[in-house]
Amino acid sequence: MFMILGIVLSVSILSAGLNLFQGYETSLKEVLLGSFPHITIQDADSDYLSIDRVKTLISQISKNPAVETITPSISYSVMASNGSRIRGASLNAYDFSGKFPFPYAKYIKDGKSTISTGEIIVGKYLAKELGKKTGDELKVIYPQLDRISALGLYPSERSYRIAGIYSSGFYESDRSQIICTLSDAETLLNINPSFAKLEIRLHSKSINAATTIATELQQALGMDLAVYPWTMFSAGLLRLVAMEKWLIFIIFCFLVLIAGINVISAVTTIILDKKNEIAVLKTLGATNASIKKLFAYQVGLAGICAILAGQGLGALLSLFVENQGWYRLKGDVYFIDSLNAAIYPINQVIVFIVAACLVSVCIHYPLRQIDKLQIIELLRNS
Amino acid sequence: MFCLAAYNLTKSYIDSDQSIHVLSDANLEVREAEMISITGQSGCGKSTLLHILGLLDTPDTGRVLIGGREVHSGMPEAPMIRNKDLGFVFQFHYLVEDLTACENVALPMIIAGNNSTDSLKRATELLSSLGLEDRLNRYANQLSGGEQQRVSLARALINSPKIVLADEPTGNLDPQHSAEVWQMILNLNKEHGQAFVIVTHDTDSARLASQTYNLAQGKLSLC
Repeated sequence: MFMILGIVLSVSILSAGLNLFQGYETSLKEVLLGSFPHITIQDADSDYLSIDRVKTLISQISKNPAVETITPSISYSVMASNGSRIRGASLNAYDFSGKFPFPYAKYIKDGKSTISTGEIIVGKYLAKELGKKTGDELKVIYPQLDRISALGLYPSERSYRIAGIYSSGFYESDRSQIICTLSDAETLLNINPSFAKLEIRLHSKSINAATTIATELQQALGMDLAVYPWTMFSAGLLRLVAMEKWLIFIIFCFLVLIAGINVISAVTTIILDKKNEIAVLKTLGATNASIKKLFAYQVGLAGICAILAGQGLGALLSLFVENQGWYRLKGDVYFIDSLNAAIYPINQVIVFIVAACLVSVCIHYPLRQIDKLQIIELLRNS
Repeated sequence: MFCLAAYNLTKSYIDSDQSIHVLSDANLEVREAEMISITGQSGCGKSTLLHILGLLDTPDTGRVLIGGREVHSGMPEAPMIRNKDLGFVFQFHYLVEDLTACENVALPMIIAGNNSTDSLKRATELLSSLGLEDRLNRYANQLSGGEQQRVSLARALINSPKIVLADEPTGNLDPQHSAEVWQMILNLNKEHGQAFVIVTHDTDSARLASQTYNLAQGKLSLC
């Protein structure tokens, strides 16, 4: 009974740990790839791309079948203030006239996703830190370092009405995002109508080939443009998370091994308990191998049932952790603020194989005692 | 041709730095369908002799032949010989407690590689012929001593072995059940033509066998 319980508990922890880490990895990848462009194109020598250049580039890039959307944008570092508190922010301006797609509409959780002049969309945590909500005014300040008056720096500042709240689940983005129209950005930043970059989103099946596609685009568009795939910024982080996932898996495998030691003890006890029956079977002509097979079959069947029950319990445990409301991840530490579980069949197969191998070794090790049991000794002693 | 023969068997044990000779140059020849009993005082080595004949133990010296072929407990074929050519009945029934009477009897046939349906069918026939048709699905601990020994007898016979080795088969039974089991052994010997080698300290019952040997001082002698 304790043998079964040990396997069930250890496998459930192993399975739940893997499900949660897989969930974290998947969620992180989703928010990273959802919040940021898959490929970014900028001018290599200048901060701006002219509108004509952008049109030419879009016609060239859209020929690539892996490309889903191309959105020109402006991106600058600014400050946001509620009068008493100031926070650093990232201002991203898009053309909301309908000429270009706005790829982040799905992340607008409150308010509207299409804005007009004088309106902005603010990241959830930025709004929270500044005590603002939809409909409130927010002052955006751009410290123009090249405009210094006799009184010092002369920043450009404007107040905008918050028309929507942006919530991607990626803390860094939700903590700094301000989205506005191109005309508002041009006024605030005091720049001529132009774009700073092209944000390219790829079809989901091509996301992992972003580096190759970026290289192809770089060759096709020329070296005066800088083409950056998402892997350049985020791959290291995802590799680290994946490595942590398998590290946790290995550590939790030791739990199964400890449960396996319980199996060794249980099988040894069963053999000692059944030594009279073993003697009878040997007397009746059963070979050591066939007796071991019989024990292995019976204990192995119980072990497999325990592993499957452990995996089921692990799935329930992961779903419970995902749906519980009393603990949330710290977004500033873990990038995302929710615990998600991802139950992948391949991971479950790996858990089953690893647990079955460990349990199998722990069953077969004590079965070697059967070879040493002498019929005559058993008959005499009983 | 002897179905079972043993020549010049010796066996000794070391007990408290003292060598005890339980068998000294023991010889035995058993013909087909012959019934032999071996008597002797407790601890004289009767069971040891039977264990050696049944390939459960190894003699220090000497040879055991089954069907004219020299055999010993260490040979790879020993389990198969024990399963097909020999049947065992012990003083204690040694039934597997987790199995029913019918399953216990079917066990040697299943070990021999037969399918369980055929084995259970044959076990049912055998138990019915021994008057246990209403005890087929009882577990060992739900049977009386006499019934347990009859089940163990049926188990020894299920593979139709050439020789049945019985070690004090009635040693644990009251006189009435003891007489019943002896009668059953005699009937089976006549009906199935199997050779029986029975070790017993009950000299009266031993005389029912066609030949009676006595084991004393390690020597086996015909009475």
